Amino acid sequence: MKKQRKMIVIVILIAVFSVPIILLSLKSLAVGWSWGELLPSDFSLRGWSVVLNDPKIVAAISVTYKIAIAVILLNLLIAIPTGRALAFYSFKGKGVIETILFMPILIPALAIAMGIHLTMIKLGLADQWLGVVLVHLIPTVPYSIRILRSGFERVGMKWEEQSFTLGGTTLSTFWLVMFPLLLPSLRAAIYLTYVISLSQYVLTALIGGGNVVTLAMLYYPYFSSVDDMVIASFSLMFALLPLLFIVMVELVIRVTIFIGK
Amino acid sequence: MRWYNSTNKKFLYLLPGLLFVLILVAYGLLQTIIESFADPKGQGLTFANYSRLFEQKSFWDSLVFSFRVSFISTVIALTIGIVVTKFLHEILLKKSWKLLIWLPMLFPHFIAGYLILLLFAPSGLFSTLASQIGIIDEMSQFPIIVMDRQGVGIILTYIWKEIPFVVLMLLPVFAQIDNRYKDVVRTLGGGKWETFRTVEWPWLFPVVVETGLIIFAFVFAAFEVPYLLGATYPKMLPVLAYQWFFEGNWSNRPLAMASMLLITAMIMILATIFFYLLQKKRYRMMRGN
Repeated sequence: MKKQRKMIVIVILIAVFSVPIILLSLKSLAVGWSWGELLPSDFSLRGWSVVLNDPKIVAAISVTYKIAIAVILLNLLIAIPTGRALAFYSFKGKGVIETILFMPILIPALAIAMGIHLTMIKLGLADQWLGVVLVHLIPTVPYSIRILRSGFERVGMKWEEQSFTLGGTTLSTFWLVMFPLLLPSLRAAIYLTYVISLSQYVLTALIGGGNVVTLAMLYYPYFSSVDDMVIASFSLMFALLPLLFIVMVELVIRVTIFIGK
Repeated sequence: MRWYNSTNKKFLYLLPGLLFVLILVAYGLLQTIIESFADPKGQGLTFANYSRLFEQKSFWDSLVFSFRVSFISTVIALTIGIVVTKFLHEILLKKSWKLLIWLPMLFPHFIAGYLILLLFAPSGLFSTLASQIGIIDEMSQFPIIVMDRQGVGIILTYIWKEIPFVVLMLLPVFAQIDNRYKDVVRTLGGGKWETFRTVEWPWLFPVVVETGLIIFAFVFAAFEVPYLLGATYPKMLPVLAYQWFFEGNWSNRPLAMASMLLITAMIMILATIFFYLLQKKRYRMMRGN
């Protein structure tokens, strides 16, 4: 009886999350799927060919990736040392520091970006991809710090200490000992940062000023077009890009570990 | 290298995070505050922008609308998330199932908005199903749920998108709970509800509060989904603020900033209240009550 109830919850859960995605996939391929028909009668790849042949979209994919990769690298650069310090050290005023580092999760990024806008213009960073990278740090870094912090807490200090005792340097200890142990947290931080960066419309529009055209910037004009097939294909691409990115990251991780050995 | 002692080392490790907060977050927020108080006619600080903001009916309508949408989304996402985690945590803690929960996290929010549109719009799946069953004959008979004035489409999107987040935040807590406490409650004759209330809830409560605050703050300040699925009136406050920010001659920029700051202030006040609530609760738990 208890098992049955669990099965029902699982089935509902899977349905809630998979039905919309299946519907989206069908919609991107269906021709003339009109209201009242349960299933489409005709399929074509026209939606996909419109999306993939649009030079603006092709250009936006590379801009989006360039920005996301820079945002991820900066995130790791900030979050790894900070997460380690929060996990391993205790010091006076740690509670205050933790609060300060946690606060940006609750502060609206838009409120911050509006204030930086003028400074970005003065510094020549507005309308530039680098400015967009900086502003994408605001909604991502607090999460990365949290994830890495609990990663270091999970791994503990013992492994590092052992490595140092055996003569490891800070760098070799991180690379050979901590990096493989921290992989689950690093993955979580990388993927979350990627999706958050991919999802930014308003921050990109504000600082990029329409000159930095990421995929999110193109989504809204596409959305107001009436062609369902094209919108659905474009939407599905947003879901497929993270999957493609995961494959890329996993390859990089495998190669890194292989070289490290 | 005398300066490189252990205290400095701790500080060095913290430096990147602190620089991020100082240079980007604190500086940006301070600039927004200053600009929101700047006198439009000249030098000095003034409350003029705020009093002009409070005279706008659209501001009040948007504020109430945003608050309602955020509150409802947060409460429903939390409730469903807690129930799902409670029933399924043993299964979900296994690796392959965890992936299933991660999957919706990989979608940008505005794509989730489009999915809700595909399901709930008058031309959507549920409308088609209703016509198949014979409840409605025409598309126009289906109620307007998405792009409506009540924000139902926006709420549905955030519920769909945030349930996995709630589950991911709560899973580690369920993994930590010492099951022997549950046995104690059962031995003493407590039912399922008693077990949840006395054993699981005290563990969950702090994380539930934290997760709820994060979701509330996120929806309250969100732009992407309301921009896609919102009605023309009332707009969610960040959408209205963005419109003011970029309107013509920048004269409404202070209004945009003041609105975003009021959102920030409201979130901070809520966070402080819950923080003190938690402190009190922890104190009680420490005394063994």
